[in-house]
Order: sequence, then C-alpha cells, then structure tokens
Amino acid sequence: MASIMRPGVLRQACTKPAASQRMLSTFTSSARNRPLGQQLRPAFQRASIPQSTRIAAFHATQRNQLLPALPQKVVGTTNDPTPVPDPDYAHGSYHWSFERIISAGLVPLTIAPFAAGSLNPVTDSILCALLVVHSHIGFESSIIDYFPKSRVPLVRASLMWALRISTVAVGLALYSFETNDVGVTEAVLRLWHA
Amino acid sequence: MACTRTLARLATRRTVVRPAVFSRGFASVTDTHARDPLSKVGEKIVPDAERKPIPESKTSTVQEPDPSKDAKTKTFHIYRWNPDEPSSKPQMQTYTLDLNKTGPMMLDALIRIKNEVDPTLTFRRSCREGICGSCAMNIDGVNTLACLCRIPTDTAKESRIYPLPHMYVVKDLVPDMTLFYKQYRSVKPYLQRSTAAPDGREFRQSKEDRKKLDGLYECILCACCSTSCPSYWWNQEEYLGPAVLLQSYRWIADSRDEKKAERQDALNNSMSLYRCHTILNCSRTCPKGLNPALAIAEIKKSMAFT
Amino acid sequence: MASQRIFQLGLRRVAAPSLKMQPAGRMAQRRLAATKHASQSEAAEILAKQRIYRPVSPHLAIYRPQITWYGSVLGRITGLTLSGSLYLFGIAYLIAPYTGWHMETQSMVAAVAAWPAAVKMGVKAFFAFPFFYHCLNGLRHLSWDMGFGFKNQQVIRSGWGVVALSVLGGLYYTFIG
Repeated sequence: MASIMRPGVLRQACTKPAASQRMLSTFTSSARNRPLGQQLRPAFQRASIPQSTRIAAFHATQRNQLLPALPQKVVGTTNDPTPVPDPDYAHGSYHWSFERIISAGLVPLTIAPFAAGSLNPVTDSILCALLVVHSHIGFESSIIDYFPKSRVPLVRASLMWALRISTVAVGLALYSFETNDVGVTEAVLRLWHA
Repeated sequence: MACTRTLARLATRRTVVRPAVFSRGFASVTDTHARDPLSKVGEKIVPDAERKPIPESKTSTVQEPDPSKDAKTKTFHIYRWNPDEPSSKPQMQTYTLDLNKTGPMMLDALIRIKNEVDPTLTFRRSCREGICGSCAMNIDGVNTLACLCRIPTDTAKESRIYPLPHMYVVKDLVPDMTLFYKQYRSVKPYLQRSTAAPDGREFRQSKEDRKKLDGLYECILCACCSTSCPSYWWNQEEYLGPAVLLQSYRWIADSRDEKKAERQDALNNSMSLYRCHTILNCSRTCPKGLNPALAIAEIKKSMAFT
Repeated sequence: MASQRIFQLGLRRVAAPSLKMQPAGRMAQRRLAATKHASQSEAAEILAKQRIYRPVSPHLAIYRPQITWYGSVLGRITGLTLSGSLYLFGIAYLIAPYTGWHMETQSMVAAVAAWPAAVKMGVKAFFAFPFFYHCLNGLRHLSWDMGFGFKNQQVIRSGWGVVALSVLGGLYYTFIG
C-alpha cells in the first residue's frame, strides 16, 4: 500500500533554508555585524535552538512517507471536546447499508457464472451495474482515506471529480458493451480460454 | 521590531560564567512572538514531523551497570526524543540489562533503566498492574501495557520499545494524548437521562441489560487499540478510533441512557464511525482482552437501514 | 472525668509544644533551574510552539506484520487492481472507435490467442489471485458486518484460510481452468 499510494503530490514541499543562511543564523554570531536584511528575516530562522542541533536540523530528512503527518496543532483547549459533525445520513448509515446490499448482491452474481458458464443478458447487466457501483464506492473510500480534505483539498477534489467522470464513462462503456457485444461474463469466459 | 528582538536576545544571552545548570533550555521559550507558530508557512519551516529515528547502529550502547559472571544479558532498543533539542531527530538508544537482576515485566526493565542506568529516560507508569493504562506503548511491534508484557527470556532476541504509533511525542515514550481525550469527551461519556427513576431512588437495570455492558465497561482508555488502527493513523483528526467508539457503544447499549438516538446521530457521518474498515488490529492488540471491533460492528448494525 | 482528661492534655501541650519553629533558611526550597511565571495565555503559546516541533512516532514501519492489517491492505490492493482494470478497459472501450483499437470480443480473443503461453498465464495469474482473494475476503467482511467471527482466533484462522483458498483458486484458474 505504501508504495502504490505514494504520489509526489503528497510530499510536503520542504523549504529548507539555504546553507549560507543556516550558517549565518547561529545564536552566537554577532547580531550587530549582520546586514539589516538578515535581521529582518523571520526570527525563527535565527532560532532559539541549541547550536549543536540547529545546523543538523533541517537537512537529513526525506519527506517521502505515506501521508506525512503535519506538525501537531490542537484546536481549542484540552477541556473542549472535538467538534461533533452534523448528522449526514447520506454519507453515513444509508451509504453503509447501500454498500452492504451491493456487496451482498454481488455474491450470487459472482458465483452463478462459475456454475452456469455465463449469464443471460439481464443478470449480466445487473452484475455490470453492481460492479461499477461497488468499484466507485471502493475508489471513493480509498480517496477519502488517503487524501484528507484538510491536508490536500485540491488533490482530493480533483480526484473525486476524476472518479465521478470515469465512473460515468465506464457505465456508458459497459452499457454499450452489453448491448453491442456478447456481455461481460461471456467475454471473460472466451478470453480465459483463448 | 528586529532591533528589540536583538536587544532581547542580548539580554538572554548565555554567558561563559553562568553554569549550565542555571540555564535549562526550554524547547521554545524565546522568540515566541516571532511568528504565528500555526501558520501555513510555519508548517513548512518546522522540522518534518515524520522524521525517521536514527537507528540503534548509529547510537551508543549503555551497558548493564554491574555486570556479573552468569549474566543473562538482554538488549533493549528504546525510542528517545528530547524536546529540549526540538528539531533533532529521534533516536533508538540501546540498553543492555541483566535479566537476573530485573523484574519479569517490561515495565520493570524500564524502571530499572531509569533508576540505575539512565535517569533521563521518560515514560508514563502508575499502577504496575494493568488497571491505569498509563504505560501503554509499542513493545516488539505490538501495542500493549508495559506492566502486563513479560520480557521474552530469549536473550538472543533484542526487544524494541516505541511510543504508541502515529502519536505526537512529548518526550521519549510519552505520547501526547490530548486529541484522544478530547475525542473521548465528544461522545459524552456519562449517563444522559431526563426522566426520574420509577421508584424515585435509583435507575435500576435488569440482569440481562447489565450483561450487555460486560466487555465494554472494562476499557481503561489506554489507547492501545486506537493507535494500532491504520485508519486512525491516517485520519485521526476526524475518525474517532476504536477506543472512543467502544466507549460510545458502552452508552448506546446502556438501558438506562435516554439519548441513544442523539448518540447515534453524532456518529452518523462519513468520518466519525465509518472510517472503520474492520481491519481488526484493535481487538488483536487490546491488553485487556476486549473487542472494540465487535462494539463498532454493533453500532453499525444498530444504525443500518435507519 | 472527661473534662479532667482534656485539662491534662492541654497542660501537656503547653509543656511540650510539638510544632517547633524552624529557621527560615531551611524551610525555603532551593531551585537549581531558573523558572519564571507564565500567564495562562503565555503558557498556551509556549505549548503550541512546543507542539509544532514534536515528531510523530513511527507506525507503518514498526508495527508487527499481522494477518489482520496485512490482510486488509491486501484486500484493498486487490480491489483497486481489479476495479482499476475494469475502469481501464471501460475507458479504452469507449475511446476505441476514435483511436482505431479493436476492442470487440472476437478481435480481443484472437489477439490473446496469439500470445505466448507464458504471457497468457502471467495475465491469468494477475487477475485470478486478486479476484479470489478479494471475493473470499469480501465474504469475511459480510460476516463481520452481521456480527460474526470477531474472536481473535476466528479472525486469524479465517484470514489464513482465505489466503490458502485464494492461492488454490488462483493456481487452478491460472494453470488448469
């Protein structure tokens, strides 16, 4: 999972201070001799960290992990509860129940071709429809898991739209495949024995 | 502005004559006004939260304090991070201990290290009998309570101790549990009732109703299960995690509680409950032998088709 | 009787006061570290500042490989593989008329028949193993959704059972079926 879900977009852009800045940003170097421009730099870069650790601080890390965690930020005081979202049945219990019905419906439709060879056009198209919906829900759930809105809002939104568009496209494609061709189960059967 | 800052720095400057004891380095006491620490820019400048620990091969080894001839020497690699050096990388520190002089549990080993070898090692502990949940940590890859985890007597195998996974580290083995407790608070973990008891004295419960709470009320909120859940790793700001959901179910299942529908509605969204994908690490790791995954499944069942 | 006892007690206290005065120097606590008072808002600011430096403890790399989460990861990967293939096929089928690809069943069958046997088996394995794993794992998930099979022992057994069955099914449909 780590390897396939690690696109470059997830990596945090790391703006390291240049080496020369880091050298000049030591606590002990005389502040009076510095040019004004450097004194105006954010004081953080001339940081309050002990000298020994400061120079080693920024260079040795690679930001290539899955879902890099952001620096810790706690909203509200320790005694406030985390906010409770408003109930959203369409994305909550209804969604869950719908997903289970689809998955349970797929079970007999998956077993049937193994028993009967291939399906008649009606059951075959039901299988196709369920497969598309099941795939859509699966992709959607992966996107929600790995591309949180708070961290990568643009990537999240664009992936969701790409998913919606391709689901519609795949639905159209399977519809035309069902109507113009032999049907999915029959096609898989023939391809498997080709 | 820059000028005042310079003056302030000159004033707080460390001088040669001042012994180091008096200038204990706080992580970030100076320069607190330099910028908003929570800004977007700040997130890019501060060190990467995911920086990998320096492996034990590159750190020193602290040996057993008084080695004897027939010592059963066991090696422990322990995760260390010191907030006084805030942007430094965490490191794996190696300690060797003679098991003959150490108690049987991992917590005994940690306490012995702190008492006799390295007093700077930091960890939470309290009851040493698995009822307080303070010493939850990741030992040999599994979250458990150090006081309930025996030291494997096989001295050839080296033990590795980390803080609870994917938590912000306060120091060494101490994770910041603020978010976890805030989430616990958000499920209102107390009896909510507006009608008075029928006999005017107490809220009675049948034996069957009471039995429904077995396996739920024993939870000690050690956060072993939540921090073993990959879904909680990736989405802990929004997903509540197994421990908090088990606590929520403890009140949903309580026959005396009258706010069942409100409690369910609070979970009825895409993130709070339904980020559970039945991975089942939670039940596997629970040091008290509870089953958070089952509790979550019961919540989902009770909310299905409604 | 009682009053007499109280009187005696009082006498004794006067004679030997238990609270002795101590020199102020010994009472005062000596601190080696310099501390200063911080108001609540200042303290919150210091804490927020400390928080942004905190590392995240290691997770994926150090957690022990167990059938629970490895099985779940595998379930997701196999699902993405299968659905991804379906989506790729669907989109290719949709744009085939414009690109001149032949995506009708007859021509695809003819194309596949021309492949060497090893390639055919490789492609069959690529679909057969994920298919069986995802389907069998899905059955496990459906039983969990109904509330069965949550004991640790059952989870471990069913997990490895699914792996074994999908290997068998995959092998059969790669080489025989």
